[in-house]
Amino acid sequence: MNGRKWGALLRLLLAACFAVAVGLTLVRAAPVAQSATPPSPSEQDSNASCLRCHLRPEIAMTFPNGDALSLTFDEQAYRNSVHGDKLNCLDCHERNRRYPHPLPEVSGRREYSQAQYELCKRCHFKNYTLTLDSVHFEALSKGFAYAPLCTDCHTAHAATPIRESRTQIAQACSKCHEGIYEEYSSSIHGSALREENPDVPVCTTCHGVHNIPSATTASFRLDSLNLCAGCHADKELMDKYGISSNVLKTYLDDFHGKTVGFYQKEGTDIWPDQPVCSDCHGVHDIKAVDDPESRVIKENLLTTCRKCHPDATTNFPSAWLSHYEPSLDKATLVYLVKTYYRFLIPFMVGGLVLYIMVDLWRLARNR
Amino acid sequence: MATIEAHREGMREVPEPEEFLRFTLGQRLEHWVLVFTFVALVTTGLPQKFHDAAPSLWVISALGGIDNVRLFHRIFATLFIFESSFHLGAIGASVVLKRFTPSMIPTPRDFLDAFDWLRYSVGLSSRRPEFGRYDFRQIFEYWGIVFGAVIMIATGLMLWFPTYVTRVLPGEFVAAAKETHSGEALLAFLVIVIWHLYSVVFSPNVFPLDQSMINGKISRERMIEEHLREYMRLMGIKELPAHLSSESVASGAAEKPPDG
Repeated sequence: MNGRKWGALLRLLLAACFAVAVGLTLVRAAPVAQSATPPSPSEQDSNASCLRCHLRPEIAMTFPNGDALSLTFDEQAYRNSVHGDKLNCLDCHERNRRYPHPLPEVSGRREYSQAQYELCKRCHFKNYTLTLDSVHFEALSKGFAYAPLCTDCHTAHAATPIRESRTQIAQACSKCHEGIYEEYSSSIHGSALREENPDVPVCTTCHGVHNIPSATTASFRLDSLNLCAGCHADKELMDKYGISSNVLKTYLDDFHGKTVGFYQKEGTDIWPDQPVCSDCHGVHDIKAVDDPESRVIKENLLTTCRKCHPDATTNFPSAWLSHYEPSLDKATLVYLVKTYYRFLIPFMVGGLVLYIMVDLWRLARNR
Repeated sequence: MATIEAHREGMREVPEPEEFLRFTLGQRLEHWVLVFTFVALVTTGLPQKFHDAAPSLWVISALGGIDNVRLFHRIFATLFIFESSFHLGAIGASVVLKRFTPSMIPTPRDFLDAFDWLRYSVGLSSRRPEFGRYDFRQIFEYWGIVFGAVIMIATGLMLWFPTYVTRVLPGEFVAAAKETHSGEALLAFLVIVIWHLYSVVFSPNVFPLDQSMINGKISRERMIEEHLREYMRLMGIKELPAHLSSESVASGAAEKPPDG
């Protein structure tokens, strides 16, 4: 009896110890599991159950509005993407942990993307915040269905480091801005880009990346000078192509540029009627200045001037010195006038100061 | 000068005016209109020339932006053109009415005066040249302003109406007009600030201010000191005593008496 009693007590104690040990292990294990890095993709387990279905080519769904969506997963593209070794399916598609998957509570494919895209901000908070200042977000918030979301430019599953491929940037924009892209492709910048030129601007060089501002505001127009000057006033860069790096200075020294320069300095939001770079050279369709299609080649310049000076005649365009500093070769008359005053003014001032000194000396002597 | 006064007292019984009328009210008004337009044109013009300088931005902001400044500049330019035309018209009218006094027409004598004045000032000569109604400095400054005004008005109009100009002239003339307008403006500004302000404000002879452009008058002392030949003409003195005339007014008597 005693022996059985002790035996029972010992078993109870052992059971209690085991329970406590298990409990402690569980309690300790839970936070460890949370803070651990996501399982590496080599551990097939985490995605395997998803891929069991989603690699099948015929798998697809239809939204209530009739939009069809293929649910086949391109595993290779995903593995090559920036997220391929970082994220598992459920990191983004958390609600599909349950099976059968709950149906998305949206009517169509676009609505689904819009509902899902904020997932990106969990990791990419800074860039997400930048987009809130963009013209794209403004369009989105006004209800424009095709205002671009993260995934429209970066894709959902095949996101690659887009900034490393300049052609890819232009192509990402071209998905919506096709007409502009075509203009750009035919421009001096765009055609050089196709030849993998590393110096020419792509869309984002001028328009920014995530916080893309509206390009039709007065402030964008005023700032556009600096956008162009960013490269075109860079002597080292321009020398590479044999282009003048003096274009901004010569512009700001002349009538048009002085006004625009003052608008910039005053910080006013007046829309400058005076031409900025793009008014004469074009915006997306900028051609080399010796291209027969260039708006600023001599043959076409009068037409360009007439946009603002409708009564201009043949002689008029040469009133603008085409970004040249006057010299003996270029704009000789202007150079001579400039030189004349450069000598006359100090001569006159010196003479008059001398006169005053002599006069004061005379008065001092006669006193 | 005491000798001259003694000479005068010896010649005349009638009391002599203490002051002479130097500028009529019309001339004074013209002058101040010119001062006003000049200052306004310089204020609205130079900040455009020196567009990079910080004070330029200050002036342009204070006047409400570059568009306002350009508008003001053209308004004052119009006023300046009217004033210049009026001046020209007044001279034309006085010629027609045969009342013209050619006191501002430079003569070879003025160039000699300038040379003599230089020699006298630096002490190479003790012979002090005597002047008529206007001395050589005033005559040269006047003509400087006249030519300056012609250049400024002509080039200013070219800049104002470039499309009309280029119907006749090559486009480069507009660019040259801008350079001229800009250079001549700075020149005029500096000459006025240095030379004219010295002559009418800072010179120990007149400091703190030559008031003849305000009240139109000049004292007898200054008249005798600075414009002896004019004084003699007004007083009807034909010749100075020998000891003075040989030194100072050699050709004074030969001057053609003005008509009116």
